[in-house]
Amino acid sequence: MAEMWISMGPQHPMTHGLWTLKVKVDGETIVDADPELGYLHRSVEKMGERRKYFMNTTLTDRLCYASSTTWTHCYTHTVEELMEVEVPVRAQYIRTIMLELQRLASHLMWAGAYMPDLGHITGALYFWRDRELFLNLLELPSGSRLLYNFIRIGGVKRDLPNGFEEKTERILKLFEQRLDEYSDLFENSKIFRMRTDDVGKFTAEQAKNFGITGPNLRGCGTKFDLRKHDTYEIYEEIDWDISTREAGPGYSDCFSRYMVRIDEMKESVRIIRDCFKKMPAGATLASRIPVRAHGEAFRRTEDSRGEAMMYVVGDGSDRPYRWKIKSPMFTTMSACPHYLKGYKLADIPAIMGSIDICIGETDK
Amino acid sequence: MSLFTACRSMAEWTAEYLLIPIFNFQAGLFPPFSNPAGSVADWLGTDGGLDTLAWTYAVNIAFMVGMTNLILVIHLERKIAARIQDRRGPMLSLRSLRELKEDLAGEAPTWKFKDNYSGIGIIQNLVDGIKAITKELIVPTKADRFLFTMGPIIFISSSVFLLVLFPLSDRFAASSAPAGLMVIMAAFSIAPIGVLTSGWASNNKYSMIGGMRSAAQLMAYEIPLLLSMAGVFLLAGSFDPVTIVEQQQEGTWLFGLPMWNIIPQFIGFIVFMICILAEVERVPFDLPEAEAELVEGWTTEYSGIRYMLFLAAEYIRGFAGAAVATILFLGGWAGPWPVPPEIWFLIKVYLIIIFWIFIRWSVPRIRTDQILELGWKKLLPLSLINILIVILMVEIYPYFSNIITLPEVF
Repeated sequence: MAEMWISMGPQHPMTHGLWTLKVKVDGETIVDADPELGYLHRSVEKMGERRKYFMNTTLTDRLCYASSTTWTHCYTHTVEELMEVEVPVRAQYIRTIMLELQRLASHLMWAGAYMPDLGHITGALYFWRDRELFLNLLELPSGSRLLYNFIRIGGVKRDLPNGFEEKTERILKLFEQRLDEYSDLFENSKIFRMRTDDVGKFTAEQAKNFGITGPNLRGCGTKFDLRKHDTYEIYEEIDWDISTREAGPGYSDCFSRYMVRIDEMKESVRIIRDCFKKMPAGATLASRIPVRAHGEAFRRTEDSRGEAMMYVVGDGSDRPYRWKIKSPMFTTMSACPHYLKGYKLADIPAIMGSIDICIGETDK
Repeated sequence: MSLFTACRSMAEWTAEYLLIPIFNFQAGLFPPFSNPAGSVADWLGTDGGLDTLAWTYAVNIAFMVGMTNLILVIHLERKIAARIQDRRGPMLSLRSLRELKEDLAGEAPTWKFKDNYSGIGIIQNLVDGIKAITKELIVPTKADRFLFTMGPIIFISSSVFLLVLFPLSDRFAASSAPAGLMVIMAAFSIAPIGVLTSGWASNNKYSMIGGMRSAAQLMAYEIPLLLSMAGVFLLAGSFDPVTIVEQQQEGTWLFGLPMWNIIPQFIGFIVFMICILAEVERVPFDLPEAEAELVEGWTTEYSGIRYMLFLAAEYIRGFAGAAVATILFLGGWAGPWPVPPEIWFLIKVYLIIIFWIFIRWSVPRIRTDQILELGWKKLLPLSLINILIVILMVEIYPYFSNIITLPEVF
């Protein structure tokens, strides 16, 4: 068969969102690829410059539907530095719990979306069934299931409800059991390994050059996690480890990226348990929250998908003068021609699924 | 009494009391048609005419049995898949329609299942069929219209043809040929031509790649499939399903159990099961219609009843594949007395199908290069080893049976 271009997207089961991947194939082998973004651009940054600081949390919630708390947290964290607001310790603990619950929900969403990419529909239903548990948990304090708007500038919306710890513990125990069950179905399955081993390889060096961060970087064996290396909230007081996995010396494949996320879920369970153990009593919202701000602030946090960076400039008014969002998936997806070349057509969903695409935050 | 004898007496009865009077009546009524109608009436009176009519009846009965099984297989697949996935599956049944009527009469705002409701959802197939029939048949503008229509016809007719080819027992057979299993495999191999045709005629890159994959997959799997069957043919000395099943009842094994072909030819059975899975294009070998990358592959452009018939034909092929596996390796319709042989046959077929359903919903799909590698590098040598074992058993062992005595198994 001669070489030809195939357009995958904007409506295609592989895309997980709204983008186009143009691939040039020689028979079944990928010769070239060209990702196209921009179908979901909503000009969040410009909209944010028209709104007051505290209003923007509704926009950041909608940056990524799978992981809205982490993005809201990144924004509030930046604005708190700009406004020099001191967040109460209990609020920081509650934030950490919510962030980790959100990370669990986000990774489960990813795992559920990844399995149909490999042709495994049952996996999707299993992981999404577990995601429901964490959505139920997130619903308890915040009142909604997808876009929480729970983390506010200066703290959190309200304290955790009664019995939250017991419910969380019950669900975490069930979830750990289920992860053990799933290991037979997925990582010990020969066909699953055939599809993911040595597919979509990139080295740690390449990942650094491309700007790939988060679980995709840790899949190369690089021990780098902003929760430890540029710590925020109370992550340094909590007992946890960075989960890494490498397919070989310094490179990652789909399977190592899958395993990193599974390990990260286990670490998140540890973090949540430790948070409940160490959580002090106290206020959940700072007593003094200014409305106006002057100066500039830049923070980066560990999103479920990589480094989320935000840069806010205040000109003394109650609205940000400039607000810049840097999404981790934008750089990761832009590098996709480099790690798609040479693989088969059937590997495209396996590779693009394994890097955990979220178009909402990518197109902003 | 076999199916054919029953059909033959039915044919005699219908010809004498129904068909011949009708044709004679027509011959008297319309002068232009009187000659052909009269000839048909005369022909129905002969032995050959009655035989033909009897075969028509037998084929139709086998077709109806096969179609009933098709509905059951689809239903079984949906329900078992749902249970595997922690769902309930389709629950629509006549009772739920009655409750809908009651709710509507009571002006209920939304239709909810009653608390004590538990339907088995067999009506869902019917509803899906109605939905498919009422949908528009879209033909892409730049598609090759003739081939686009011919593709489904080739695929579906060759699959439905399979239904009448295998016997349910030595008395329930709509066709009998000395080369029965060869005819079945030949009918199996027609379908990829339809796949390739519809993949190419759709004028769609996804469809074309799906069709190409189907062709590659067929070539990689047809050869080990036939070689694994060759062992059985060597043992039985025949292609005839009845002879093969009877041969399996001859030897005995531990505790007097019959030695079905699965025991001496276990390797062949494994190879055959893997290859027939690839032949009927089920997960993990459903590459031609991989929905993740190819968007249902060669069926992308088909809609409405055409698409539905593709799906149905795949289930028919699955059913036929399971039936062939039962005949070749699991002793066919043999079983203890009180249960009729046809039921024994269907029990074995359904056990294989349930096994396939479990496989389908618990493994991912494998890749094209891997499937070809598996077919050419692993299954082909294994099937040759199986043939070698059979040749040793059949041809070489009798010469040495005085010197060495193998256990009863051989």
